[in-house]
Amino acid sequence: MTDDIRISVRNLYKIFGDDPQGALEKVRGGMSKTELQAETGHVLGLNNINVDMPAGKTTVIMGLSGSGKSTLIRHLNRLIDPTAGEVIVNGENILDYNERRLRDLRKHDMSMVFQKFALLPHRTVLENTGLSWEIEGKSRKKYAAEATKWLNRVGLEGQGEQFPAQLSGGMQQRVGIARALTSNSDVMLMDEAFSALDPLIRTDMQDLLIELQAELHKTVIFITHDLDEALKLADHLVILKDGFIVQQGEPQDILLNPNDPYIEAFVSDINRARVLRVRSVMEVTDVPPTDVAGEVDYDDTLESIIAVSEGDTTNNYRVMREGKQVGVLHMRDLVRALVPRHPGEAA
Amino acid sequence: MATYDNFFDTIGLRDWCGDDEGGGLSSMADLMGQAGGNTDTTLWDMPFPSLDALHDSCDAIPQSRDLTQGLEQGFLAIKDSLKVVVDPLTQPLSWALENALWLMQAVPWFIMIPLLMVITYAVGRSLKLVGLVALVFGFLAFIDFYEHTMQTLAIIFVCAFICVLLGVPIGIAMSRSDRVQRTMIPVLDMLQTLPPFVYLIPLIFLFSVTEPKLYGIAIILYAIVPVVRLTDLGIRLVDQDVIEAADAFGMTNRQKLYKVQIPLALPNIMAGVNQTIMMSLAMVVIASLVSAPGLGVLVLRGIRSLELGVGLLSGLGIVLLAIILDRVTKAALARINASQK
Repeated sequence: MTDDIRISVRNLYKIFGDDPQGALEKVRGGMSKTELQAETGHVLGLNNINVDMPAGKTTVIMGLSGSGKSTLIRHLNRLIDPTAGEVIVNGENILDYNERRLRDLRKHDMSMVFQKFALLPHRTVLENTGLSWEIEGKSRKKYAAEATKWLNRVGLEGQGEQFPAQLSGGMQQRVGIARALTSNSDVMLMDEAFSALDPLIRTDMQDLLIELQAELHKTVIFITHDLDEALKLADHLVILKDGFIVQQGEPQDILLNPNDPYIEAFVSDINRARVLRVRSVMEVTDVPPTDVAGEVDYDDTLESIIAVSEGDTTNNYRVMREGKQVGVLHMRDLVRALVPRHPGEAA
Repeated sequence: MATYDNFFDTIGLRDWCGDDEGGGLSSMADLMGQAGGNTDTTLWDMPFPSLDALHDSCDAIPQSRDLTQGLEQGFLAIKDSLKVVVDPLTQPLSWALENALWLMQAVPWFIMIPLLMVITYAVGRSLKLVGLVALVFGFLAFIDFYEHTMQTLAIIFVCAFICVLLGVPIGIAMSRSDRVQRTMIPVLDMLQTLPPFVYLIPLIFLFSVTEPKLYGIAIILYAIVPVVRLTDLGIRLVDQDVIEAADAFGMTNRQKLYKVQIPLALPNIMAGVNQTIMMSLAMVVIASLVSAPGLGVLVLRGIRSLELGVGLLSGLGIVLLAIILDRVTKAALARINASQK
């Protein structure tokens, strides 16, 4: 797969307050968030953000509350305007757009799913789902087929005539996803879309999203405060803290090589066996190992390998990808990878 | 000798005041002072330096009655030019009131009462309510108040309709701009607290008492406030998340207003309409002082000639009318709420 960049954020700053431009100078001069707040009363929302979001993949932006993640996602369709910086979509800086072009962008290129669902309470599920078509001035008759198709796809067969309040939270968010899909835009912005749901329903929804992604290859920008969720969904993971990016990259890579104590602390609670995959810990070689205990797939999780090996740490496995050997997995490396690196240890 | 003579002497304004001491007596206090012969006032009795008190010492300062007279003169001076503007603007109101009054009285009772019942059912979808309406109008007609009731109803329909027609757009404008809201709120506060009789005085100067718009304007000014306030409030209370979703999917401001904000604010707007109707009913009684027909005329007759029975019965008629108007609009509101959850 090619790594085309769909959305690119360049040197983005957002400062909340009366005189953001004045405060911007201070931030560029190296003032921290706490200093800025104490001295000028301005809140530094985003500090020099640079992210490239690959097309057809899921970019997860993770951070705790107050880290600026929801602010960042609202810059991608300009629900919030930045203090400085660029947001490049389709090769154009959308900050130069006038109101009409911006509306076109929101109608055709981007859709959004919200934490609190944000469905229109006075409309049926079907009418909510067809919202983007209705905004275009199309009648219910025209969008009914498309909307029903996506409602069925997210598992809401026969619910089109219900009102949102008659559905459970999980079902309402399915409507939210169907509404985003019905707009046929290829960028989907998901702002803590699953955070308000029960853990079990959340897992269901994550699986649904992964399934949809495998089929549709949308460019998904997903915001979450939950590292497990982030690792499960992300192709590209961005970790935010206090408005700046602490680390970004492939999730496996971040897990194995955290570059900051903040992230080390973060990842130390993770069930690494379930998240890490064979490809991240294997030795890359096409020489067949001498004493093979079996063959494993390149994309298997370590958890499944432990189950296969029945706990024997002396085994070696051939790692296969599409029928060819791409490496060798030593169980010893696998076990070592399960223990997080401790702060201060040499990399 | 008045209290503040020394004051004007010391600050050297005696010449400006004009040397008119011992001239004509101008106030009751002067007369009393002369009669008593005691001009020495103690500190305890010192009057507040009001216009009248200062006038006693200095003729150049006007009396308070000059102030009220000035206001009156001022109003009379601009009255004619004001009339040129306001008269044609409000002419449709006269026309609407006259026609509504004519229509409500021209339709015979055996069509009118069933028609009102049908309207009640259409709005409220409740047979109990329809029964109540039939009972109330039947009772009022039975005691020979039918004509007056229809007149009152006609005035309320026209005035409440115009209140909604003007009030909802004003409310929307207030909800969209903080500046409009800041300027409108004191105006609304004033309209709501100014004693209703006070509106009537300048209106009597402006229009002739035979014109229906005289009481129409008074009723509208008094009753428009709740629908404006609740429209503003209703739109401001619409869930910000939903508005954000509307923005994120590319709605224009107009689409947002008609497809999201007004439908979601409708319960509040309807509550405002209910209040507006109730307040126009209250004002219709006062407006009978300036020739508004209807049940208020009977109340007025009860007061003027101390006809206790007429006063009580017409009062009861107004209460009954208020009850059904309130129940019917509340039933409509409940249906809107039920459809929105």
